[in-house]
Order: sequence, then structure tokens, then C-alpha cells
Amino acid sequence: MKHIDTPAWAPTAVPLPHCGAAGRPAARGSPTRLFPGLALACVTLATVTVQAGSLDAAAERYRPLMAEEIDRSLTGARALRDALLANDLEGAQQAWIAARVGWERAEVFTSGFTELDAEIDAWPNAVTGFHAIEAKLFGARRMDVQPETDALIFHLTDLRVKIRDTRLTAQGLLNGAAKLAYEVGESKADGGESRFSGTSLDDMRNNVDGVEAVFRIVFAAEIEGRDPKLADALRTKIDQLQTLLRVPALGRLDSNKLRAESEELIVAFQTAAPLIGLDRLSLKDLVQR
Amino acid sequence: MWSAWSAALLCWLALIAAPVEAFPVNGNQTVLPVGTELNEDALDRPREVFRSEALGGRKSYLVNLGDVAFSSPAILGGTARQAGISCSTCHVNGASNPKFYLPGLSTRPGNLITTGGLFNFRANNHLLDPVTIPSLRGARYLAPYGHDGRMASLRDFVRNVIVNEFAGPEPSPAVLDAMVVYLEDIDFLPNPRLAPGGRLRPQASIPEQRGEALFAKPFPHDPSLSCAGCHVPSGAFIDHRQHDVGSGGLYKTPTLLNADFNAPYFHDGRYETYAQVVAHFDRTFDIGLSVRDQDDLVAYLTAIGDGQQPYERDGVIPRLKEIMDFASVLGAAIPARDTEIIDLVANTVGGELRELTENFPTRKDTNVSGGSEERNLARALLKDLVLCLRRIDLAATAGRFDDAATEYANFRKLTISSVPVALQNAEPWSLFNPAIHDAHFAALRQMTEAANSAGH
Repeated sequence: MKHIDTPAWAPTAVPLPHCGAAGRPAARGSPTRLFPGLALACVTLATVTVQAGSLDAAAERYRPLMAEEIDRSLTGARALRDALLANDLEGAQQAWIAARVGWERAEVFTSGFTELDAEIDAWPNAVTGFHAIEAKLFGARRMDVQPETDALIFHLTDLRVKIRDTRLTAQGLLNGAAKLAYEVGESKADGGESRFSGTSLDDMRNNVDGVEAVFRIVFAAEIEGRDPKLADALRTKIDQLQTLLRVPALGRLDSNKLRAESEELIVAFQTAAPLIGLDRLSLKDLVQR
Repeated sequence: MWSAWSAALLCWLALIAAPVEAFPVNGNQTVLPVGTELNEDALDRPREVFRSEALGGRKSYLVNLGDVAFSSPAILGGTARQAGISCSTCHVNGASNPKFYLPGLSTRPGNLITTGGLFNFRANNHLLDPVTIPSLRGARYLAPYGHDGRMASLRDFVRNVIVNEFAGPEPSPAVLDAMVVYLEDIDFLPNPRLAPGGRLRPQASIPEQRGEALFAKPFPHDPSLSCAGCHVPSGAFIDHRQHDVGSGGLYKTPTLLNADFNAPYFHDGRYETYAQVVAHFDRTFDIGLSVRDQDDLVAYLTAIGDGQQPYERDGVIPRLKEIMDFASVLGAAIPARDTEIIDLVANTVGGELRELTENFPTRKDTNVSGGSEERNLARALLKDLVLCLRRIDLAATAGRFDDAATEYANFRKLTISSVPVALQNAEPWSLFNPAIHDAHFAALRQMTEAANSAGH
């Protein structure tokens, strides 16, 4: 049997929900007064609490980028409207693709705005949002998508306003990054979400870029301080995902490898979460108010 | 070339227009040709009867491992693996797949050129020679294998499909053996209309009884021949031999057991109904059957080709049962430190769980208005299971088998406790609900139609 060195960051068994209290993160420690190591436990608890607080401050550093990505999406959507008015199909298609970039990168966080998400990125319903426009613009090469485009601009503008004041937490961003990484590993054998524009591969690349940005801006330094090897492993996993996605077409993607890498990235995030004072990751849909 | 692609397009358009359950592959970035129909979305799936369970026992480790391999795209290579196609994509629950259609490689739903260039360019013989996807029920009794019966060994046949037809890597002996054990455990559906010796029971209708007599009657111009001479009633209605029945060469005698569910008929699927098959034999062998004779033979074939509960409704319970059966292989593979099998099972079951997750629509699917929290929880728990399997695989690969065993215990606990409850709570708002299912695929069709609609 081949021998493989266990990396320092390699996860030990991670408790699953409803499986009992074993292995809960330290920040959620149970009563400790009966234990001799009380003092140490209290110090640890205080440390991770401070960590979580400082991480929330770090999460704030993500806000400008998130705003920038929504702005980019909004700019693309407005360019799309202009191209439609100019009866410029090629220009409209390019503007649609440009609008998708910012949207997909910001999805780490924006998917939590469930109502707006359903208006902007509904799927498979071809009534509203990006994909309603895509089906006509790319599939049928039709330009009669003015009302849908106006609605998209309206909803993106609404989102732009909302993210100004929404509370950002490190926990929410790590959950969002994990959830997005998981989606990258989903099968695109049927052409993926953006099948008519042929840009599902771009969606995936932008998703991973969004995960990378959150990791770099919010978490990298904190994890580096706690476990440099784990930080390296996370960087490597993200880099491997980006490399796998550097293929010329969706059909050339090694989807099995991509799935494995995306899941290994999340497992590494799961290992990191308690180290930096966060709860175990949740892959439930976020809900932002 | 024109005819194949035009037929594909026409078929695809017909599928879009008709109120069908399944949905073909579309878009311009697919691994498979546009219009490919895998029939993966059907709500009613063939029922799989395992001989071990039918006799009161349980499926063995080898049966479950073989079933895992049969359901794993990783067993196949190239295009099939990229497209997520496994053996079970075509042989759904060990039965056939009459809707399977692959433009360029199928001439009609239910058949496929196995030596075309899409899956293995090295095997491409540039012949338009599709064969039907056979049911594997009763495979243990049905040697030789292949429509032309070219292989005596089921093991050799399975290996040839994997390595040569689908360009897969050479399977390990352990996996190949397990696949054969699995196939040999797939039984025929019971047919209470048949008595020992393959005879009809006395309760058979008069036309069925007349059909039975005709079936055994020698052909008028060659008394050495009869239907029953090849389709031996006491021997699963086969004779283990190849014959030329005017279909373009030598092909082995197919079983007639459960054949009601195996259309289209003949090696290439040229006939849709028993009536067409009977008419073919009447013409080819100049039997001189009257209209009533032909009707009687069809009644007889329908009686002997029947089977109890041929389909079962897809849903949370059957899916979870299959997943737990598959995952049970880990219970032996982890203590045995068998990393190859652990990797195969973790990846295959993870893939099955991801597929199951997609049956619970996200909030982006605005067709579904209720059960938002239930769907959200179901999806999250299934994702947790996927990640649990990934941790098992990582731990085993790193030689940490105790950690792998702990994770597997967690996995087992979840799959028998909170996961079934959460999934059943969400099931009314899942694609297992016919109304939700139809709305979801109607939306997909609508999007496809919008993409195909003419411009103003």
C-alpha cells in the first residue's frame, strides 16, 4: 500500500449535526468548573472570542470588494440596456457576460439575499433575471429583453443599496465561501446554469475567484497565524481549482477532479473554522435581511 | 449523416412538444450531443429484484460493491465519465432504458452504437449498427452474452464494455468480480401467470392458451422449427444459441421473461410491439398465421412476458435505501484498509447524494413556493453527508483509518436518524412530487423554447 504523509492540516473526524456534543468548537465550550484545566480553558475561550470579534472586523474589509463587484454587475447591466437601445446584439451579449462576472464573484455573500437572488438569478424559470435574458439573447439571438433588463438593473440597484448596511460576519462569509465552493463541484454535464451563453465555465471561474478573495481578505492572515500549513493548504486548494478551470471548454473539464478538489477545500475550511474561533460550517442557504 | 442528425432534431423537438417527464440535454456547452435523452428524470423507475433478498437473505458485500461500481462513472472513461454516465444510466436498476437516445449513436430511442467514436475513438468501426440496451434481469441464466452471443463469460463481457466500448481504465479483479456477482443477483420479476416448466397457469385466457399451442407448433414449411424450439419454455425461453431469423445476421435467442418491459424488440430495436415481431416471423418463415393466430400469439407473449410490479415510484425512501446499501461497503472496506474500494464508494455515493440534493429545489427555483426551510435543511444535510464521505476518503488515503471509521459511524448515524426525517419532511416540495416535478421541467422547457424561438 502506498504511504502518504498526513499533512499537518489534515482533518480529524468532524462531528456532524445532531451527532452529540463531541468535538464542538472550543468557543462553544461546556461548563468547565469541575476540570483542573479551568484557567487554561477560560483563556482559550477568551482568545477565540476575541478572534471571532477581530475576524468580524476583518470581514468589513470585504465590503468594498463586494460593492465593487455589484457595481461591476450593474455597469454591465446598464451597458446591456444601452446596447439593446442601439440594436447591437453582439454588444448586448458582451454586456450580459460582463454583468455576470461581478455577480458570480459576489455570490459568496449575495446569495443570502434570497428574494433578490430569486429575481436576479432565478433558475430554471425563464421569466426574470439573468437567465431569462440569456435564453433570448444568446439562444434565440433576440433583442426583446428590455423589460427584463430594466428589472435586472432595478434589482441590482436595490442590492447595491442593501449591502451598504448589511452586517457582515466572518461566520457568514466562511459559510458562503464553502457553499459556493460546493456549487463549483456540482455536475455541469448538462451545460450548467448558463448553458445558452456557453459561460457556465466563466461562472465557475468567477465563483472560485470570489472564494479566493474572501479567503485572502478576511481569513488568510488569521489562519496563517494559527496554522501556517493549513493556510498554505487552503491557498493550494484554491489554486488547484483555478488551474482545473483553465480549460478551453466545459467539455474538457475534469469534473470528477474538480468535485474532489472543491470538497477538499471545504473540508480544509471546516478544519480552519474552530481554529479561528468560528462555529462549524453550515451549508444551509444564508438569509440576509 | 443528414438523416441521423435530422432524426435527432425531430425527436428532440417532439420531446419538447410532448408532455413527457424526461428532459433532453441542451445548450451549447454539453459533453454529450444536444438532444441526448438519458431519461434520468423519470419518476417511475424499473423495480430491481435481488435474488438474495427474494430468497429471504440479504445482499452480500460483493453485490453491493458491484452495484456501486455499476453506478460509478469513474469505472468508465473519457466522454462517459465526463458526462456522469455509468452502467446504470443505460441499465436503470438493472433493466433497460427505452427512452435513452444519443444523437449520432442512436437511430431510435432505446438503442445505441457501442462501437461509435464518441466514447472510444479506438473502437470506432464507422458502422451504423446500433443495438438495444438489454435488460439484465436474470443475466445469470442468459449466457452467452452480447446480442450476437459472442462471449461465453459474463466477466469477459463486462470487462469488454468497460475497457473497449467506454474507454475505461482496466478494472481491478476485485471490482470486476463484484460487478459480475451483482449482475448475477438481479433476478427476473416474478410472474404469477407462469407455472413450472414455463407453462401458462390454467387460469390463462382462451386466446393465451391458443397462443401457447401455436408457440409450440412446428412451422409448416420446416417442421424442425417452432417458436418454442428456440424459446424453450422450461429454460427461461432461450436456447443459448444464435440464429438467423431474417434480422440481418446471427443473433442469440433473447429471453421472453419480463419481455413486456423490454421494448423495443430485436437486436436493433426495430420493432415497438409484439404484434410487429409476430408479423416479422410470419413473413420470414411463411408460417401462414391468421389475424386471430397473430392476436393469440401476442396474448401469449404478453402473458409470459409479464412481471409483478415492474416499476416503482422514485422518492426519498428508495434513494436512501440504495445509498445506505452502497455505503455499507465502507463498513468492511475501512477495517480492511482497502483504499481503492473506499475511494470508489466515497466518490460514487457522494455523487449519488449530490444528485439526490438536486431533487430539492433551491430558492432560485421560483416554481416552488412552499417548504423553503424544509428544502434548505434537506439540502444542507445531504451536503454534510457528501463532505463526510470526502473526509472518509481523505482520512483513508492518509492512512488514518480510525478517523475514517469514526466518520463512517457519523455517516451511518445521520443516514438512519435525522437525514430520513428531514428529507421526508421536504419531499412534498421536492421533484419527487409529480406536480413540482412537472412544473420544474415545464420551466426548463419554457427556457429552451425561449432560446429556440424566432426573433422579431
